[in-house]
Amino acid sequence: MARILVIAEQRQGKLSESTLELCKAAKAIAEGLGAAPAAAAFYKDDSIANEVAKYIPEVISVVDAKLENYSSDGFAQAIKAVVDSQDVKGVLIAHSYDGIDLAAKVAMVLGAGIVSNCNKVAVNGGQLVFTRNTYNGKIQEERSVKTDKFVATFEKGAFDKEAPGGAGKVTAVSASIGDIRTKFKGFVETQAGSVDITQAKIIVSGGRGTKEKDKYNDVIVNLAKKLGGEYAASRPVVDAGWTDPARQVGQSGKTVTPALYIACGISGAIQHVAGMKGSQCIVAINKDPEAPIFNIATYGIVGDLFEVIPAMMEALG
Amino acid sequence: MKIVVCVKEVPDMESKFKIVDNKIDESQIAFKMNDFDQYAVEAALQLKEKHGGEVIIVSSGPERSQKQVRQAFAMGADWGIQITDPGVDEGDNSVVASALCGAIKSIGDVDLVMTGVQAEDDQAGVTCPMIADMLGMPHCTNVVKLEKTGDKELSLNRELEGGLNEQLAIGLPCVLSIQSGINQPRYPTLPGIMKAKKKRLDVKKASDLGVSAVGADGSKTVFIKRFFPVSEHKAEIIEGDPKTAAKKLVEKLKNEAKVL
Ligand SMILES: Cc1cc2nc3c(=O)[nH]c(=O)nc-3n(C[C@H](O)[C@H](O)[C@H](O)COP(=O)(O)OP(=O)(O)OC[C@H]3O[C@@H](n4cnc5c(N)ncnc54)[C@H](O)[C@@H]3O)c2cc1C
Ligand SMILES: Nc1ncnc2c1ncn2[C@@H]1O[C@H](COP(=O)(O)O)[C@@H](O)[C@H]1O
Repeated sequence: MARILVIAEQRQGKLSESTLELCKAAKAIAEGLGAAPAAAAFYKDDSIANEVAKYIPEVISVVDAKLENYSSDGFAQAIKAVVDSQDVKGVLIAHSYDGIDLAAKVAMVLGAGIVSNCNKVAVNGGQLVFTRNTYNGKIQEERSVKTDKFVATFEKGAFDKEAPGGAGKVTAVSASIGDIRTKFKGFVETQAGSVDITQAKIIVSGGRGTKEKDKYNDVIVNLAKKLGGEYAASRPVVDAGWTDPARQVGQSGKTVTPALYIACGISGAIQHVAGMKGSQCIVAINKDPEAPIFNIATYGIVGDLFEVIPAMMEALG
Repeated sequence: MKIVVCVKEVPDMESKFKIVDNKIDESQIAFKMNDFDQYAVEAALQLKEKHGGEVIIVSSGPERSQKQVRQAFAMGADWGIQITDPGVDEGDNSVVASALCGAIKSIGDVDLVMTGVQAEDDQAGVTCPMIADMLGMPHCTNVVKLEKTGDKELSLNRELEGGLNEQLAIGLPCVLSIQSGINQPRYPTLPGIMKAKKKRLDVKKASDLGVSAVGADGSKTVFIKRFFPVSEHKAEIIEGDPKTAAKKLVEKLKNEAKVL
């Protein structure tokens, strides 16, 4: 039977949560298409394959010392070996850092169409229909694939995590992994900072809408102090050097879950939301009524943050 | 070094979006250079300043989008190729990538190609690996640090989750996707803007670049429809002028949500 193949993802020997979400996706897609869910694990030994096997009925394992750390060349060659020797209909990859690096390359190697950054998939008369975010989350689009095989990447959280429990069959496939043109040198931590915003009960977070460093300090930092909380920021604020990288919230920053998160001048891009959607109460202050942040906030004020925040300061007394 | 930077025109995301016949109504939209591409242009200019060479802009989009190429010229890029072909605009990412690739090949002897991490409009993040594969070059995405360490070698940091970076080395020629924050993109100076008007910009069609598979037929994916997301969970919007709204919000946070 044709397989819907999840590419297992690991970092320093630890299986990613996205892989478990993809296992759930593979089962749903396989059921709709009359195919079989499976995963492929590439690593220096069988440990990752054995771990994934708790979540999916079949795992294809390619073991090679060159696969200990992710590389697009190594993984693309391993996937090619799997697809050449097994019946594979589609490949599911996380829209994560490694996934973004890998997926389009795999699509090229397989001659397949790719739909990236999806948040939903439906089977419609035997045809897969993918839904994805576009225009910074303001507009969604539906797309399908014309080629015989497909590659799709899914954003984190698109599916629930599959629960462990099974004992899938692990099959070894041999692949001769040739030249890897990117040479791995090591990992470095870049956001070690003096402050730990993940412990704060109240977070006031400023985005590009705060306009400049002095204004960010004036409104965001002061409101945070008044509320006895911490101040934080979206990525553009950190990129511009208005605040410390340790205060960045999101996919490439910190994940926070305070009782109250006040997002000011932040549009609500998925990579930001990934780091704060678990907050108990979310307030959005944004002058654009269509900003996606209003789709996840508890309370919203449509207005100019430079008017609303001073008014809040006053109301707080 | 001969460096190509791929620059895309995208809508300003604060524009008023309307969908008419499954297309974005462009009459209400302001356009700009894709943010991530500005970082790529700056990274290229810094390499040129240090190691010599030229920076060439390649862009595909309607005639209007030449403005963004001129913007890159004003920052300091030397010349460019603009692909203006409705067949390319109507194609999917693989069609656009092959057109960009055709342009890059026509330049010849390119040492380095840079793109942004993703286009803010289609949010695909596929163009860098696609171009690399088509050109037979290695690639690296999400680059946040970049240094030329040898005649034919770059040392890179690739951004990973939660503040982690991977350090790696890659040979030239290669294709990189540049992440925001790698540098502070410069603002064009007035003399820069004046010079930009006179810089060479070749306008091409796909067929001029040896690319025949265009449009929906040349694509590997099929566009079905476009719509505004319907949220099951829309915020409770607090109405009123700023003073009234702020006051109501503070009360709700105290008495309803009980978080203050
Ligand atoms: C791989 C990857 C990782 C990323 N990781 C992260 C991450 O960890 N964290 C993160 O935040 N982003 C991350 N991003 C970037 C993300 O895609 C967005 O670009 C970013 O979150 C946008 O930040 P913003 O909302 O501050 O700015 P914008 O999207 O520009 O939004 C600014 C908002 O301010 C509003 N505004 C403007 N002026 C005012 C005013 N006077 N009053 C009220 N509102 C106003 C506007 O209406 C707009 O909605 C990542 C991107 C990629 C590709
Ligand atoms: N039409 C285009 N013209 C020039 N460059 C493009 C175009 N489309 C994509 N790119 C480049 O590819 C990057 C990633 O785009 P995407 O893969 O569409 O998310 C962008 O940041 C640009 O550098």
